[in-house]
Amino acid sequence: MLLTAVIIILREVIEASLIISLFLAFSQRSNHTRTWLLQALFLGVISAAIYAINIGVMSQWFDGVGQEVINAGIQIIIYIVLLIFLITAMRPHSQFNNRLLTAMMMTGVIFATVREGSEIIIYIHGFVTVPELFQSVLLGSAIGAGIGASIGVCIYYLLINMPINISVRIGYVLTVLLAGSMISQTIQQLTQADWVISQYPIWDTSTWISEHSITGQLLYAVIGYEATPTAIQVTAYLSGLVIIILLSGYSWNHNHRLNK
Amino acid sequence: MKSIRTYLLLALIAIITLVTFLSLLQGYKDSIAKAQQLFDDRLQSMAAMIANANQDLHPHSAGTEKLSSTVFFQILTDDFLLLARSNNATTPLLSADNAVTAGFRDINFSGYRWRVYILKDDTLNRWIITGERSDISYILAEKVVTASIIPIVLAIPFAAFIIWIAIGVGLKPLRELTGQLNNKQADDLSPVVMANTPEELTSLVASTNALLQRLNDAFVREQQFSADAAHELRTPISILKVQLHNLQNNEQISDAVLLPLASGIERMGQVIEQILSLYRYSPEQALIKQSEIDLSAIVQSIIAKDYDQIAMKQQKISLSGGEVCLIKGNHFALETLVQNLISNASKYTPEQGEIQVTSKHITTGVRLIVEDSGPGIPQEQYERVFERFYRVDGDRHNSGILGCGLGLAIVKHIVELHKAKITLHPSTQLGGLKVMIDFPNK
Repeated sequence: MLLTAVIIILREVIEASLIISLFLAFSQRSNHTRTWLLQALFLGVISAAIYAINIGVMSQWFDGVGQEVINAGIQIIIYIVLLIFLITAMRPHSQFNNRLLTAMMMTGVIFATVREGSEIIIYIHGFVTVPELFQSVLLGSAIGAGIGASIGVCIYYLLINMPINISVRIGYVLTVLLAGSMISQTIQQLTQADWVISQYPIWDTSTWISEHSITGQLLYAVIGYEATPTAIQVTAYLSGLVIIILLSGYSWNHNHRLNK
Repeated sequence: MKSIRTYLLLALIAIITLVTFLSLLQGYKDSIAKAQQLFDDRLQSMAAMIANANQDLHPHSAGTEKLSSTVFFQILTDDFLLLARSNNATTPLLSADNAVTAGFRDINFSGYRWRVYILKDDTLNRWIITGERSDISYILAEKVVTASIIPIVLAIPFAAFIIWIAIGVGLKPLRELTGQLNNKQADDLSPVVMANTPEELTSLVASTNALLQRLNDAFVREQQFSADAAHELRTPISILKVQLHNLQNNEQISDAVLLPLASGIERMGQVIEQILSLYRYSPEQALIKQSEIDLSAIVQSIIAKDYDQIAMKQQKISLSGGEVCLIKGNHFALETLVQNLISNASKYTPEQGEIQVTSKHITTGVRLIVEDSGPGIPQEQYERVFERFYRVDGDRHNSGILGCGLGLAIVKHIVELHKAKITLHPSTQLGGLKVMIDFPNK
């Protein structure tokens, strides 16, 4: 039980901690204010608790697939937030752009916390009535959360201590991959809700890297790794990547030309 | 990076947590596998013991053994007829339909998952099966293993606390150095001395001390220069003045020749005094001689001192407010400030004009206002008049007025030393310029 708890909590925590460390490192390196983080975390945790408490009602929405549809919606919002964030970050500094960046970072952290926080609350709450398992679930959750948060801290310190040009590149690649992962997870949720037709997987790499291993979960969080993806999922993932790369590239080029 | 302490704490705890937890997980997996092996060995031994203890080849239903609900056994004939069993395993678990092999396997039976061991007793041609509920043995194994994990997980916050303290102790020399530099008096340029300088700070302390030494040398040179310059420049001017006085007594030389000479010497004298006062009020000097000063008293004494010059132009000067306005500052600097403002007002105000000086308390401190009925300054030049040697409308503006464009530059310099704020406005009351200085509360 402990291992399962570690995997489930790690998967939730690492995603949120990646988003937070990316945004925080960006704020630090661009001398942006960082006061938004505490407010966003506070709002996110409160909203996650409200969502988790009302999950029974909400999951009945959309003919009983409310939870999947809401989760898919949240993932799409995070994708859009990352997209606008990257485009704005490439543009020149202005008061409007700075405000937009803060707003995007706050929205991103709030929604990531709601999504991941509610899952954690629901998961742990499910074991409150099973005393013989509760202790190992709690222990597993603590270990999973510890690993996830530590990875976030390490990535943050790596990003802020590296030479700026390398740090910007790594930060960009991580953000783009994270955005792709959001799209892949959206399709997964919508397939579970039967809003997207389920297909046979086009490949199976579970013998190499199982999704139920720590490496699998890390890859799942960072690049949206899926051992048995469907054609729709792969197409959506790639399209998500292409869109964000093209739009942010256009924004960078445009700004670069203006500077010349 | 905001704080070295926070950085070190977070980075260390993150790395310790990561390494410890990942090793814990590996240890957990290995321990669970070992425990599973232990349970398997027990099942195997149980089967062997049953085979030795029960060699009866006749089935007897009465002899069922009462065991706890989590374990069971069965003894079957070669053709899968029950010979003996525990009370919780009523039906034969093996049949001719499925290929039976000896060894371990996991099966579902009576609503649970069981780990079973099948032993083939070749001497009596029997099958002996022993089983244990998987979930129960798993929970038991997990309890044993997690008992050793819990203290390690709980130790992380304690480790964080101890690391926080340890880093604090490690950074103590740095705090000591900062404290020493912060507490240094403005005129104290003596080297920093630390009882035990750690290796990492040795070169910092050495270069700081070298810097202090260079600063001290520069300071001494500057003081020397000011003193020398004052002496060297004032003496020839005094001689010039004496010579001028002698010339004025000479009736052969007309006043028309002497007047420009006199005003030239006067102006040169003023420029030198002003330049020297700019040097005199260096931040370090001003800070040393700070005390509590009544601004109104200074204003009164300057008015009294300059009264002759003002009366000569038949100007009217008034002091309003006049209450005791205590501020913290350098007495001589403040005198120069008030003097410059009043003499500026008098200079640029025409004859029979009016000057009004106000000193009063406001919520944020003390306000000094000097306004006059002169021509004022165009608003677009408000910022520029504080520049050194800047004069309104250049040097052409009024040849009759002595000045070098340093008066307001010195005022601004003194204002900054006292962390005060100076603003210029058109005077609504008198029509000229209104200079307003807000001193902070002492």
